[in-house]
Amino acid sequence: MYSDVDRDALHVRTADAAYPIGAAAPRESYLNAARIIEVARRSGADAIHPGYGFLSENADFAQAVVDAGLVFVGPPAKVQRLLGEKTAARRLAREADVPVAEGTEPLTDVGAAKIAANRIGYPVLLKPAAGGGGKGMRTVKAEAELESAWGAATGEATTAFGQAALYLERAIPHARHVEMQIIADRGGNVVWLGERDCSVQRRHQKLIEETPGPSVDEALRERLGAAAVRIANGAGYENAGTVEFLVDGSGKFYFLEVNTRLQVEHPITEMVTGLDLVALQLRIAAGEPLPFAQTDVVRAGAAIECRITAEDPYASFLPASGVVAFMREPAGPGVRVDSAMYPGMTVPNEYDPLLAKVIAHGHDRMEAIARMRRALEEMRVAGIPTSLPFHRFALFDSDFNAGRYDTGFVARWSQRVAPDISEGAASAAALAAVLATRARGERRALATSDPPWARAAREDALR
Amino acid sequence: MRYEVTLDDRRIRVELGEDARFTLEDRVVAADVCETVRGYQWSITVDGESHEITVVTHDPLRLDVDGHDVRASVIDERALRARRGTGAARAERVEIRVPMPGLLKRLHVKEGDMVERDAPIATLEAMKMENELVAPIRGRVTKLKHVSGTKIEGGAVLAVLVPE
Repeated sequence: MYSDVDRDALHVRTADAAYPIGAAAPRESYLNAARIIEVARRSGADAIHPGYGFLSENADFAQAVVDAGLVFVGPPAKVQRLLGEKTAARRLAREADVPVAEGTEPLTDVGAAKIAANRIGYPVLLKPAAGGGGKGMRTVKAEAELESAWGAATGEATTAFGQAALYLERAIPHARHVEMQIIADRGGNVVWLGERDCSVQRRHQKLIEETPGPSVDEALRERLGAAAVRIANGAGYENAGTVEFLVDGSGKFYFLEVNTRLQVEHPITEMVTGLDLVALQLRIAAGEPLPFAQTDVVRAGAAIECRITAEDPYASFLPASGVVAFMREPAGPGVRVDSAMYPGMTVPNEYDPLLAKVIAHGHDRMEAIARMRRALEEMRVAGIPTSLPFHRFALFDSDFNAGRYDTGFVARWSQRVAPDISEGAASAAALAAVLATRARGERRALATSDPPWARAAREDALR
Repeated sequence: MRYEVTLDDRRIRVELGEDARFTLEDRVVAADVCETVRGYQWSITVDGESHEITVVTHDPLRLDVDGHDVRASVIDERALRARRGTGAARAERVEIRVPMPGLLKRLHVKEGDMVERDAPIATLEAMKMENELVAPIRGRVTKLKHVSGTKIEGGAVLAVLVPE
């Protein structure tokens, strides 16, 4: 299904069947539950997979799908409701004997937030009670910042989740963001599949993820897996999910939240386990039991994902829109690209700026890094700025390579130095820069007043 | 025609002759140039070494040089002469443009304010996120072209800074 601006999107063109569901504004289309369910019934589908954005963590939608006689591919509405209310999820984690960072229940006004922040101690995090994924989240370093952060976060929370309620949590400095993939069938069998380190984030949006986590040893992995399974059991979990933790410098971990859906970064877990998580989701939704037990899960090697977004790292990662004039996606052994891009694609500014995911798998972390470096150097995107320069920088950064990084890593980008290119490459680049500038000037001059036939003839002559 | 090209912190003088001969820093270069994607990509061999240059964006000019990201600029001899003359003062102004269409949620400065480099100028809401537009230089805000609460088109000038 697609909104008006996605008419020529890759998912529409490659699907067996595609149905329009409304105007570009999410409320009119991708958040329009009634329209989506109606289209699903009309198409003869018997199940809806909600993907990983928009309605994927919306309990009302999950319920509406079931009420319409369709199967929802994901955890049932009551599980989503329980875990979607972030402060309720924290209570559940405590009851399951899983540590949580000091925090509050949902707060109604900034005055209450001030009192709570003073009790907990700065820095604190403001988080939307109704949803995760980094939207509407703010770090507050001191009381002076609290009021403006509160205003911005309530605004974003309302836009993203339809609810303004926020809660407050102690910020764990120099923490790593480590999450555990779980999968559960209807019979209550829960298996953990391994962790992903997602510490390379900017404004709480992930840019790079990898597995295994460089800071996670076998003992910590077992403890995180067991904690995730306890939470899943406590919630009556079903289908795929991710339990997010913060891990501090001493290896102590704190429960953050449960994402009751498939994650954007699920491919790295697929690469090391050899499992197809979406296929498993469909089997479980169809009522089948998990085809393996915990002891059957084997993780081989290491995998990394880079999220290539339409954001300009040279302009504080501001989202960019425009047309992809040309692109080349990498390939080869151990390289996977999940992409929405094609040449000529107009990047819409209505939605998330994610363009493509580049995933590299190797026998160990060094091989995965080597393959990712090669893939990123092979990739080209022209016409719009993308995050590719940041990813190339990161994969060559000494701290990233040593596995020494936390959620503050992106700040290193501002200390980057210009790439060391050879004399020959610089000469070629200088020539190309001149040729590109001249060609553009000529095309501009041609584009002005001439009739199309005259323009075509003159452009041919210039070729 | 002569050009001055900057590649990050490197500066290279390029002369393009009528007979497609290139002079770099007054040295004639044997370059074999092949345009592989019209207006966007060139394969160029210099001294037998092959390089692939892709124009990521034209304005500002960003290049992908064999998989390395380079920020570039090209000034031709006319512009160079103009800059040395009367154009100098004008070139000192820095325009802050809105990178994509969005809603101007808040302005953090007024006309006449002094701002530090990286200080927030405005908050723009686009793609479901609030984004801060920051000052690229330290300077004085001499013009604000929009008021908060208005929708702004991508590429429009929001503010003008003059370095101090």
